[in-house]
Amino acid sequence: MKKKLVSTVLTAALTVSLLAGCGGGTETASNSAGTDETTTKAASAAETSGDEAQADAGAAGEEKLTVWCWDPAFNINAMNKAAEVYQKDHPNFVLEVVETPWEDVQTKLTTAATSGNLDTLPDILLMQDAAFQKNVISYPDAFTDLTGKLDYSQFSAGKVGFSTVDGKNYGVPFDNGAVIASYRTDLLEQAGYKISDFENITWSDFIEKGKVVLEKTGKPMLSCVGGESDIIVMMLQSAGGSFFGADGSAQLVDNAILEEVMSTYAELVKSGVLVEVNDWDSYIGTLNSGTVAGTMAGCWIMASIQAADDQAGNWSITNMPKLDNAATATNYANQGGSSWAITSNCKNVDLAADFMGATFGGSVEFYDAILNTGAIACYLPAGDSDAYGASNDFFGGEAVYAKIIDFAGQIPACNTGVYFYEARDAVATAITNIVSGADVASELQGAQDTVNFAMGQ
Amino acid sequence: MKKKLTLGQKHNLTGWTFLMPAVVLIVAMSFVPMVQALILSFKTGIGTNMTYTGITNYTRMFKDAVFMQSLKNNFFYLIIQVPIMLITALVLASMLNNKDLKFKGFFRTAIFLPCATSLVSYAIIFRSLFAVDGFVNNVLINLGILHTGYNFLGHPLSAKIIIIVALVWRWTGYNMVFYLAGLQNIEYSVYEAAKIDGASPFQSFRKITVPLLKPTILLTAIMSTNGTLQLFDESMNLTNGGPANATITMSHYIYNVSFKYVPNFGYAASMSYMILMLVAVLAFIQMKVGDKRD
Repeated sequence: MKKKLVSTVLTAALTVSLLAGCGGGTETASNSAGTDETTTKAASAAETSGDEAQADAGAAGEEKLTVWCWDPAFNINAMNKAAEVYQKDHPNFVLEVVETPWEDVQTKLTTAATSGNLDTLPDILLMQDAAFQKNVISYPDAFTDLTGKLDYSQFSAGKVGFSTVDGKNYGVPFDNGAVIASYRTDLLEQAGYKISDFENITWSDFIEKGKVVLEKTGKPMLSCVGGESDIIVMMLQSAGGSFFGADGSAQLVDNAILEEVMSTYAELVKSGVLVEVNDWDSYIGTLNSGTVAGTMAGCWIMASIQAADDQAGNWSITNMPKLDNAATATNYANQGGSSWAITSNCKNVDLAADFMGATFGGSVEFYDAILNTGAIACYLPAGDSDAYGASNDFFGGEAVYAKIIDFAGQIPACNTGVYFYEARDAVATAITNIVSGADVASELQGAQDTVNFAMGQ
Repeated sequence: MKKKLTLGQKHNLTGWTFLMPAVVLIVAMSFVPMVQALILSFKTGIGTNMTYTGITNYTRMFKDAVFMQSLKNNFFYLIIQVPIMLITALVLASMLNNKDLKFKGFFRTAIFLPCATSLVSYAIIFRSLFAVDGFVNNVLINLGILHTGYNFLGHPLSAKIIIIVALVWRWTGYNMVFYLAGLQNIEYSVYEAAKIDGASPFQSFRKITVPLLKPTILLTAIMSTNGTLQLFDESMNLTNGGPANATITMSHYIYNVSFKYVPNFGYAASMSYMILMLVAVLAFIQMKVGDKRD
């Protein structure tokens, strides 16, 4: 009998230790993810001078924030630079950046918010502008209202709009997504063109000239990821168009701008001027291996273009073509771009807001330091800085940043909408069918039905 | 005063005590979430703001063009891929079961090895193999079969075929191992007797191997059906559902509804239960057809 008892107790102990093991496992995982170079370096700085201690910041003498963002060459670099700038006045400040791809940020945020475990979130996370409204509306409890905590008048109004829900500010604007058209001047020359031949042109001009370039050099003008609607969204927004009406309803049919965009895109593919590849890596590959004569994307693409050292000096930047018929057509659009959000898990909102306000929302010096990665400020005073007048040798010695700031000022305001990703995918499906010969009007009707269905919850 | 347990009761108690840890874990980690998902599937709403709406989610999916497309895609994979894979696995297994074959261990390992690769990495490798400037196109161009690269993943039918090729590569060895294990239970003397009676290798395969392996074939058929209906990694990483949703699977669409689009977890949960019902029904049919014991 005693033996039985012992074995029962042992089994029970085993069960408990198994269960405890599960919990312990996740804990150590999050801890090990936290050991980061930034942390250790800044932590030693925190030890040396221990004033300005904040009692509610966990360990005494430590002002620590955790951040999720994804691009080591771009936004992670910017965050680390921001921490360096802030540490000059706040020696106790510790910033821990965890590299998290955007898809994972979205998945983790969804999991945390729906399970109610908001304490798995970092203090600050970076969010794609197009997903900002969707997430704030879906998970209002997960974000901190920043209204009044930052001086939003210093940011461009269009950008602030992405992270504003019901008149409340939830985001700190970060990078500018002004679309630039970058071309290989050496290839254009072979076809008898100069970069100025591609400035302020329309898409039909572009296709005509692109055909010549294709014929003379054997290289298409542009590449893009097939099955995605990046270029379509750019074209649409360059004329101030949207997938949605002012009331938020889907407007994919009887949308003259969108119809023109769809036929123009189909024409681009059919003429061979635009080549579709299957994924993002291949797209970047076409730029760096020189299989295309140019590309059109948000100005953050500069970091990827500059990865090909052998092409230095052969690139030049100008504005994108505009639609031929739309009355509101311009040569300017926005693509991508992101904003920082402070989560409701942040125990020290004042510190986070002060940090963001002192760097992303108030330091020209900081924006100058991250300029070379193509992180063009949405913070207006930064545009007046001397650094923005500097030339870039990779892009033929031009003052590219001043140019991009100029483009950014002319982007028409547009309505992204909460159901932006649904519309994007529906339109991507439609354009794939249109390129292979389907009728524009009926495909757009199909896309409209898909989006309406998704909105019908 | 506690009554003494009988021997039988003691044995039962020991058995249950050993079972309890696993039972508790399975109930907590698997059954409780399943019940919660079932409750969730009767709710609708954006994100965390959900209300009960009865069975609307279940009727809704039949009007959902994308879900219907994904359902068709799943059945396309199921009908084409599972028979190809199981027959190939069966043929390979009976070939490798040959007593006189040299380097048996090498062949078995080589065919089983794909199963040891991660789903995501093999999908990405297939994607780059079949890219427009990828390895397969380079070979075809150098052999003079093609002039310019063919966009395998850019056309609806070829993209589906690539997924099927990928699945066959990944899972044939896995099923073959089950058949090899099953073949160990078939006496070699049965084959010798057949040989003496003048049976050809094909005849002994059809009349001896297949009937005696029936329980294993049934098992692999049910597992493959289940796996194909839940297909996710290939659709997500190899083709990203494209072109124009031609390769999207049900699980991929459920992922999109939960994580990519404005989240509608109630609807996503109901679609998951739809997959469960399909798997259950198909498994039931296969059992009825395949198992003739009673």
